Amino acid sequence: MKRSFAVVTDSTADLPDEWRDRYGIEVVPLKVLFGTETFRDRVDMTDEQFFARLAASSALPKTSAPSPGEFAEVYRRLAKHHDGCISIHIGEQLSATAEAARVGASSVVGFPVNVVDSQTVSMPIAFLCRVAAESPTLADATEAVQRRVPKCRVLALLDTLRYIEMGGRVSRAQAMIGTMLDLKPLLLVADREIKSVDRVRTRSRAIPRMVEFFRTEMPVETLAVMHAQAPDEAEEIASELRRELPDLDVPIGQIGCVLGTHTGPKALGLVYLKA
Amino acid sequence: MGVDGPLFKRALLGSLIWLGTNHEEVNRLNVFPVPDGDTGTNMLLTLQSAVEDVKESNAAEVSKIAKLASHGSLMGARGNSGVILSQIFRGFARAVEGKSSLTPAELAAAFEEAANAAYRAVNKPTEGTILTVAREAGRAAAAAASGMDTNVPRVIAAAAAGARAAVLKTPSQLQILRDAGVVDAGGYGLQLILEGMLKTVEESEPAAAMLAEARKPISPASQVSLALPEGGWGYCTEFLIEGMNLDTELIRGQIEALGNSVLVVGEPELVKVHVHTDDPTSVINLAGGYGKLLKLNVGDMSTQHRRILETEGGTATSAPRPNGIGIVAVVAGRGLVEIFRGLGVDAIIEGGQTMNPSTQDMLTAIESVPYDEVVLLPNNGNVIPAAKQVIGLTKKKVHVVETHSVPQGVSAVVAFRPERPADENLRAMKAEAERVQTIEVTHAVRDTRSNGVKVKKGDVIGLINDRLEFAGADYADVIKQALGKLGPDAYELVTVYRGQQATDAEMSRLESEIRNNYPSLEVEVQQGGQQHYPFILSVE
Repeated sequence: MKRSFAVVTDSTADLPDEWRDRYGIEVVPLKVLFGTETFRDRVDMTDEQFFARLAASSALPKTSAPSPGEFAEVYRRLAKHHDGCISIHIGEQLSATAEAARVGASSVVGFPVNVVDSQTVSMPIAFLCRVAAESPTLADATEAVQRRVPKCRVLALLDTLRYIEMGGRVSRAQAMIGTMLDLKPLLLVADREIKSVDRVRTRSRAIPRMVEFFRTEMPVETLAVMHAQAPDEAEEIASELRRELPDLDVPIGQIGCVLGTHTGPKALGLVYLKA
Repeated sequence: MGVDGPLFKRALLGSLIWLGTNHEEVNRLNVFPVPDGDTGTNMLLTLQSAVEDVKESNAAEVSKIAKLASHGSLMGARGNSGVILSQIFRGFARAVEGKSSLTPAELAAAFEEAANAAYRAVNKPTEGTILTVAREAGRAAAAAASGMDTNVPRVIAAAAAGARAAVLKTPSQLQILRDAGVVDAGGYGLQLILEGMLKTVEESEPAAAMLAEARKPISPASQVSLALPEGGWGYCTEFLIEGMNLDTELIRGQIEALGNSVLVVGEPELVKVHVHTDDPTSVINLAGGYGKLLKLNVGDMSTQHRRILETEGGTATSAPRPNGIGIVAVVAGRGLVEIFRGLGVDAIIEGGQTMNPSTQDMLTAIESVPYDEVVLLPNNGNVIPAAKQVIGLTKKKVHVVETHSVPQGVSAVVAFRPERPADENLRAMKAEAERVQTIEVTHAVRDTRSNGVKVKKGDVIGLINDRLEFAGADYADVIKQALGKLGPDAYELVTVYRGQQATDAEMSRLESEIRNNYPSLEVEVQQGGQQHYPFILSVE
């Protein structure tokens, strides 16, 4: 049985390749700009290449949303074989991507596109895509996804506030971090906001704090552990949580280039949908 | 003269050049809606994409050029402002459909339709943004078009002036702009685009004068997200260094030794410096060694701060804490004061080792904070007794977390959570304070013997958690021994608070000693500015 509608997302969903192939999900890349050089997230550059370049670069890269025209091209192509599409994107408080998708969709006549502002980032979007892909109709998919949007959470432990601060998404005041000390912020993306949950001086103490906070958020429907160039720590956290939550599959995901520009290297995250 | 294809093409090229010249200024203004610092870049890249398609065309009709620009901008649109700009082009192109040339009235109508299209494209239009600026530019253009002896340059000049007036009003429409002390970046970008058009189209004198006028007062971006210390001391010193291979890290390190609130950002060719210092001359001399200084601005901070307090109606404080608990700390040293403030301490009593504050001093500070429940951090063993006296002298509920040192105080403040109730906070603050190890180095003021260590007056002495453990001739050696005694394997991070007496050479020697001997430890250096203790180390 073939789905009659398409599922589209963007590269900040950190969608595992395997899901992309299994569910036939279309991924539109955001862009990373190192000076005047533009790279499409995870297309022109692997995550490893990106973080190597990030470490070597003196000026921080910038990120940008796909253009409406790029979305329009994808929708036009999908219109040939589908009778509609759900397009699930990074939260509008974080990026102009969903707006670009909406404008792009308006230029493709006769092809219904339900653009969903996920209000979140990273693998919660991938979870939403999976929910959509497993729905029988576009209406069901849209309803099931919209219902879960308020339940998406990203709990992120950054190794430094430097990157997210330079990117302008969070100020030191918001993260409750002074101007001087290099504290490791534990942030929660929820309800269209980035909230400070904790601030910790050292990494070894910060990781248990993240897991501790996560426990207060249980029960959850789905859970993944995210990392930017910190696979060993991610694996440790994942195996700890797998022992506690034997019914859940706890995948480990890599933070992509666009998101990595804002988290910086060595970031860790627990991403989940509350039950 | 009407607006035909070649003229519109020329005008777009003019816009591109003018926006290209000024887009960094737009970047610096960006605080809304997605504060990236890249609104200018996004708009420029969008406009570039619009012009790329136009450049190839020799169309005589304005409609054809407008259509190409619309298509190109849509394909190249980036960021919120870029997307809106593409919708402005789309609206303009629709309005001029089928026309080969525009009269002044038709041009004004097209500007208005461009703004309308932009409003329609946005889900929830926000006033005080590029949308408002587009609409006001359109209105001003329409007014000019209905005037007596109107012409195309006058309509464009009116649109640019209308845009500028609207841009200057944006802070009154959006709180976020008002807070940051800037105008809207996207709106300003649109103003530049209209000005660029005018520069190319304009030949007559009066409109050129309007342009010169239009470029003048733009709020300095330098105030963005810089909190001023409440006391108001020193000079706020700002400038750009133009040079080659400029090393921002290196420059930051040197500037940090001369002041506080240091911000050094930029590229190898151009670096922006901001610092609060008592000695602007030294800062300028230092920076002058790296290259040419531009846009130098030295301001008296106390006046600046007063001004900001006045404009904000005296409500420059942050939002009240949900748990209703204030924090007061005893701290000495300019850098340490700033660190504690930055971590959220509400009031600071100057004092410490040799300058123990009185109970009254602490009482006054506690009364000054807008909370009925206050945590007091003495940060020195000698201050704790006086601090405990405060309890009972005030109607406020005072908790003394007995921090014996600066590192303990910092750990305690870091553990404070504004949404957590008092008992939980106190438990966490105490536990964190006790977890951290403190190493202090100073000079012996007399011959003595303590804890089995014999010291002579003037010796370098090292204390671990207030206990004399080592004596020697050299800071780095004493600290190395102290770290060895603590057992570096059990720790992860060493924070060095550098005192006033420590020289650059001593600082770098200490850093390399720690790094060479204990490579597993991360080292962070902070300018503490404390007296008597050249180095205080926090080990955790």
